Amino acid sequence: MTRLSETGKFTEDILTASKEKARQIVEEAEAEHRHLLEEAASALSREENEILHNAQTEAEGIKRRDISEVRHQAKLLEQSEKDKLLSSVLEEVKLRLRESTKDQDTYFRYLINLATDAISHLGMEHVAIHFTSEDLNRLNITQLTREVEKLAPRVKVEVSKEPVDASGGVVVASNDGRIRLVNTFEQRLEALEPRLLIEAGRILFNEK
Amino acid sequence: MSGLETVKIIVNAEKEASKMLNEAEAKALEIRKQVDVAIAAEREKRLSKARKDAESILQQAEVEGKAEAGRVKTESMEKIKNELQKASLAHQTAVKALLAIIMG
Repeated sequence: MTRLSETGKFTEDILTASKEKARQIVEEAEAEHRHLLEEAASALSREENEILHNAQTEAEGIKRRDISEVRHQAKLLEQSEKDKLLSSVLEEVKLRLRESTKDQDTYFRYLINLATDAISHLGMEHVAIHFTSEDLNRLNITQLTREVEKLAPRVKVEVSKEPVDASGGVVVASNDGRIRLVNTFEQRLEALEPRLLIEAGRILFNEK
Repeated sequence: MSGLETVKIIVNAEKEASKMLNEAEAKALEIRKQVDVAIAAEREKRLSKARKDAESILQQAEVEGKAEAGRVKTESMEKIKNELQKASLAHQTAVKALLAIIMG
């Protein structure tokens, strides 16, 4: 081999090796570039999904909030209207109770029952019955006490001169006035109110 | 060819090889620099779109929520109205029942 061809071969080898090394350097950079882009894309997908997932969750919350608010308002309105209706029933009951005193025969018998019932609960031998001033004026109280005494034969019944402040009914007291059993309309309404409300709710709204 | 000429040829080849490698290193550096820029641009583009989509989802939810709430409100009002109408019809029955309880 001549010197020229040896030199040419040598320089060609140098250049070939350099070209190869240069190609490798660029290829490595490009591979690294692709790898970093892929990693970034994967991380971005996770971030995108998280943003959208959070939005979906918040969106469900927004819908639930609006619907829940309306349901709550409707429930309050429903309860308020039911309360009004229950109140109107109780008001009419009070009115009808007052009116019931006008039917003297029925009311007369009712007072006998109230008084007798109270006497049996008191369990005393000597009692005083308090009537409303209106009942004292318009009813035959003497006859009424006689009827009561018939039903409670071992009890001495007196009519108190102190009227009771009520729209109807009686108060039965021990002779010394220390024990009183109040059987007025107002007291009965108050005592029975929970039961009355349950019964009214059952009839009006089919509530169990 | 003299020895001197041979050396010159080899030195020139070495220079050219060195230049080639330097250029390759510079190109690689440029490629690496572009990665950060490309990632930042892609990130801005995709996250910006995701945020817009999220905003759109929320706006849609507001609209759907209000529409659904409107439907629920109408249904509830109708239900309450019907219940109260039925209850009103039973008003007198209730009054009589309560009077019966009180009057014993």
